[in-house]
Amino acid sequence: MKAEYVNSFYKATNDVFKLMLDLETHKENLVLVEEMVSSKDANVVLGVTGNLKGSVLFSFPRNMVLEMIKIMSGMEVDKIDSFASSALGEVANIIGGNALTVLSQNNYVCDIAPPQIFVGEYKSFSMATEKALKLSLNTSIGAFDIIMYLQPSS
Amino acid sequence: MWKEKYKVGVRLIDEQHQELFNRVSDFVQTIRSEEHWEDKLDKVKETMAFMQEYVVVHFEEEEIYQEKINYPDIQEHKQEHTKFKEGVNHYVKIFEEEGFTEEKIQEFGGRLMTWLIMHVGKMDQKIGAYVEGKGGETQ
Repeated sequence: MKAEYVNSFYKATNDVFKLMLDLETHKENLVLVEEMVSSKDANVVLGVTGNLKGSVLFSFPRNMVLEMIKIMSGMEVDKIDSFASSALGEVANIIGGNALTVLSQNNYVCDIAPPQIFVGEYKSFSMATEKALKLSLNTSIGAFDIIMYLQPSS
Repeated sequence: MWKEKYKVGVRLIDEQHQELFNRVSDFVQTIRSEEHWEDKLDKVKETMAFMQEYVVVHFEEEEIYQEKINYPDIQEHKQEHTKFKEGVNHYVKIFEEEGFTEEKIQEFGGRLMTWLIMHVGKMDQKIGAYVEGKGGETQ
């Protein structure tokens, strides 16, 4: 998987977090993983189609999501209900949209499917034989992962 | 919900943005309150009616202003306005067909808040930067 795919999502995540949440993100590590597994409490999957195809999974811990919603709404939130999960899904969707803009500057024309949100469900997503990349990011309100599996369309 | 950093430096646009934020903030506070769901419904319906009308008016005025100042990214901006309106109308349709269910209203509230922050916090800041580059507000 090419670095520019990962960088597009990393840059978009950074920009959106700064803009919407006033948060800086710091890269913790980037590793190859065998499976695309949602390992934290709240997960958003974006399907990518077009010149590239695959999926991007955002995986957040519960307390971080509650804090994100608090930053945006200015209100205390104590559970990830449909208000919080739809806001989270939309943040991921916006990141995806921004990443596609970055990719289009590198001549990849792609689309994203509406976000799918899973709360408290640990799922794995099947892939082809290739491995996925897991990017772990840290912020002042918690750490989260972006797991990407993107390949050029044949 | 409103933050000073969302100001674009054009009075009319900033006033309308603050009104939008106030309404969305009120709406979110209402749907998040402990009141009985039935008691919140009037506020929900009122906000939906307001959003449908005010969003259209605000976007039109913003587009007229952009034309006046020869804003170069007007087409891209109009597309974003269209998407925002489609997003609101999508839920209007859901509420018409399925009624005002709490689940869908909460879902809409989460999305609306995010769209507004994103649109004003990102897209509209570019108008501010353009106006500033031209030497300040062009009324």
